[in-house]
Amino acid sequence: MELPAKNKWLLAALSAAAGFVNGFLGGGGGVIIVALLLAVVKLHQKYAQATALLVILPLTVVSAAVYVIKGNVDWLPTLWATLGVVAGGIVGALLLKKIKGNVAKIIFALVLIAGGIKMFF
Amino acid sequence: MQIFLLILFGFLAGIVGGMGMGGGTVLVPLMSFLDLSQKTVQSINLISFLPMCCAALIFHAKNKLLVKQNVWWMILPALALAVAGALAADKASNEALRYCFAAFLCAVGVWQLIVAVRFEIRKRKQKRSDDDRPDK
Repeated sequence: MELPAKNKWLLAALSAAAGFVNGFLGGGGGVIIVALLLAVVKLHQKYAQATALLVILPLTVVSAAVYVIKGNVDWLPTLWATLGVVAGGIVGALLLKKIKGNVAKIIFALVLIAGGIKMFF
Repeated sequence: MQIFLLILFGFLAGIVGGMGMGGGTVLVPLMSFLDLSQKTVQSINLISFLPMCCAALIFHAKNKLLVKQNVWWMILPALALAVAGALAADKASNEALRYCFAAFLCAVGVWQLIVAVRFEIRKRKQKRSDDDRPDK
């Protein structure tokens, strides 16, 4: 779908904000990109989630490169955590079809709020 | 013990990420239980995301789920500000980053909760009105 010019500039401005969040917080940009693809580009959920990865991958590569150059990476814990993430990612992809989407979203939202509150203290 | 927890927390976040719900937003608060600086946690989050993202993209490309139109309008400005954000993170203190991440998590959590609850209410109302239809 061809977007009107006004929407393209809105998309660019909000994506720039998502990029800043992703670099500054080391993540979180994907949530904003998915919301933009849903609300501005009007993609369906599964296309928005898949396409968001296409946008987030280059952002993550450049953000990670800056963290590496600035010496903010500790490689050993990174290696162990990455092993866990890859294994969990496979399990998550397999579980996806078996879990009711909206119930999972409500649980996930509560986990996020709990995580945020925990990080304040 | 730390190695076990790193793998376990990575695994739990990976499950969430694999379901397409943003594993990073789970990994960072879990890692805050460990004796690691916020910048190290954030770098772990960025780097550990890369292999999973590449694998998922191959899968999504095969299933023709990637919509490439308009993405350059997103990627180019986001790239520029991602570098700026990462440079700003380098200058910020670990404590400031931690509080910013906490505030971001709470905001995203509340927003996701509102969206999901509204969707659930609408779905139940729709089901009830379908059940009440006389022709059923």
